[in-house]
Amino acid sequence: MAVEVIGRPADARPDKVAARRRGRFARIRLSVVVGVITIFLLGPVFAVFWLSLRPPLRSGKSGLTLDSYAVIFKQTQVGLWMANSLWVSLISTAIAIVVAAPAGYVLSRGRGRAAGGFSVSIFVIQSFPVVVFVIPLFILFSGVGLVDSLAGVAIIYVAQTVSVACWMMSAYFDTIPISLEEAAWMDGTSVLGGFFRVVLRNSLPGVLSTAIYSFLLAWNDYLVALVFIRSSYNFTLPIGIQTFFQLNQTDWGPVMACAVVMLAPPVVVFAVFNRFFSVGGIGGALAGR
Amino acid sequence: MTTAEVAPRRGLGTSPRRGASPAEVRRRLTLTGFSIPAIALMLLVNAYPVAFAAIQSVHSGGLVSLGPFVGAANFRAALTDPLFLHAVWFTLVFTVAAVLGSWLVGFALALALRVDFPGKALYRVLLLLPWIVPIVVSSMSWNWLTATRGSLLPTLARSLGFGEVLFLANPVLATVTVCVFKVWISYPFMMMMMNGALQGVDVNVYEAATIDGATRWQRLRYITLPLTARSTYISWVLMAMFSVNDFPTIYLLTGGGPVGSTTSLVVLAYRSVFQDFQPGYGVAVAFLTTIVLVIVSLVLFRRIRGSHVE
Repeated sequence: MAVEVIGRPADARPDKVAARRRGRFARIRLSVVVGVITIFLLGPVFAVFWLSLRPPLRSGKSGLTLDSYAVIFKQTQVGLWMANSLWVSLISTAIAIVVAAPAGYVLSRGRGRAAGGFSVSIFVIQSFPVVVFVIPLFILFSGVGLVDSLAGVAIIYVAQTVSVACWMMSAYFDTIPISLEEAAWMDGTSVLGGFFRVVLRNSLPGVLSTAIYSFLLAWNDYLVALVFIRSSYNFTLPIGIQTFFQLNQTDWGPVMACAVVMLAPPVVVFAVFNRFFSVGGIGGALAGR
Repeated sequence: MTTAEVAPRRGLGTSPRRGASPAEVRRRLTLTGFSIPAIALMLLVNAYPVAFAAIQSVHSGGLVSLGPFVGAANFRAALTDPLFLHAVWFTLVFTVAAVLGSWLVGFALALALRVDFPGKALYRVLLLLPWIVPIVVSSMSWNWLTATRGSLLPTLARSLGFGEVLFLANPVLATVTVCVFKVWISYPFMMMMMNGALQGVDVNVYEAATIDGATRWQRLRYITLPLTARSTYISWVLMAMFSVNDFPTIYLLTGGGPVGSTTSLVVLAYRSVFQDFQPGYGVAVAFLTTIVLVIVSLVLFRRIRGSHVE
């Protein structure tokens, strides 16, 4: 191999230098290989950006333009859909955290039969397919006017998240030594006070990763919105984009511009909070134990 | 971490005990209060629907009103329906392909990313993107790559002399395409899981093995794989559960077609209820899927629990 030839000249160079140089070449080679694989794997993502910058079909232009973005913001309700999606995602994230943090504390600190039963039922619940509770909830919600309403959708997102969120919070609380609370209890702090002043105050990273998980789950959801949302002014982004896509299959520019709008918030969240990002929610919570 | 917990773990008791002090009672009440919102919510939006689904699955009738009681007829209809049996088969293929495929890719990348090389941190972040990109978006992009005659991959296949390759119109190719798509979405999960597992492996073990003359393959086979077995197991079971549950990946790429060849159990349940208006049948399918998932998750739970006490 070429690398070996350069790394090992004929004269008697000290072994160590040769080995180190070989190591460096091997590393550069690995970097190139992984780089090529990365570019290959990200092809479909690059395609989205590239297509969104192509001019729309009937514009008669060539080269790269932002025309498609102008088209979608003028001709579709993509701005409204984005606002809907943001609202639903943020509100369900907030509720999920408020509900899951104390419950996660019980999972983490509680001992005894009741706590054990609680933890097994939460674990089973997170395995339910979304389809199985979407159908009965559709019937229940249509009785109380929550079909075709963003509030109804938000409730389901909370439900979908809360079991995993409990596990994630609990896994984080496990990393906080219980002796901290015990010291607070000794000083006469109640369990409630210990939870807020000792545990929660030290759990910002756990709260953040749970929040990111819930936000992305709600932001990316397709099935729930597909079933529950009817009117275009209530569309969340996935449904809006999908409808637009079905009407404009061949005009990739505007379609992919919509896709970029939908893609942007998760990528920004990921870029900013990379450190707190837990892939697969419950996966990280389980693997860390 | 696991062996230190043979002694009773410190924590807060939640089960009633005789002779508890008032402070102890107050603590238990607080913990109960902490769990109530979560329990109430899960009862309403998780437990109630599943119970309702159980009832609905033994009735016929429309979406909004329950029809007459039909016993196990819906289940019998499902279990003898070739569509259902095909959905079981496809779900199995899809799940096995997703688990093994994403594990192979993810584990290989995690192993490569363990070595220090220029650009490693950037690659690690970039390689997670397929998991972060919403499926609605990536499915459109894959559509652009594969769906029609003029798409990139069919054009490429034509110019390489493979003739007319229709990735989403041929049942076998559509199955393969959906599985590859799923692997593409899921490998970052495996990469992260295995990356975490690899960080727990002591590097000194490798040095010792290298001194003893172990080859690269032997080190992988006899050190890396056994020492990451627990994470592998957890990530396989979780990925299997994610895959069985997966609706959008399949539905957005193929809609379950062509001619039902990529219809998984959840897609079948969705279509039966919301497109064919047979809620009894659809719910029965969803319910059967749920039972399988509950069993799998209980097995996983016991395994996780077991590792705490062993």
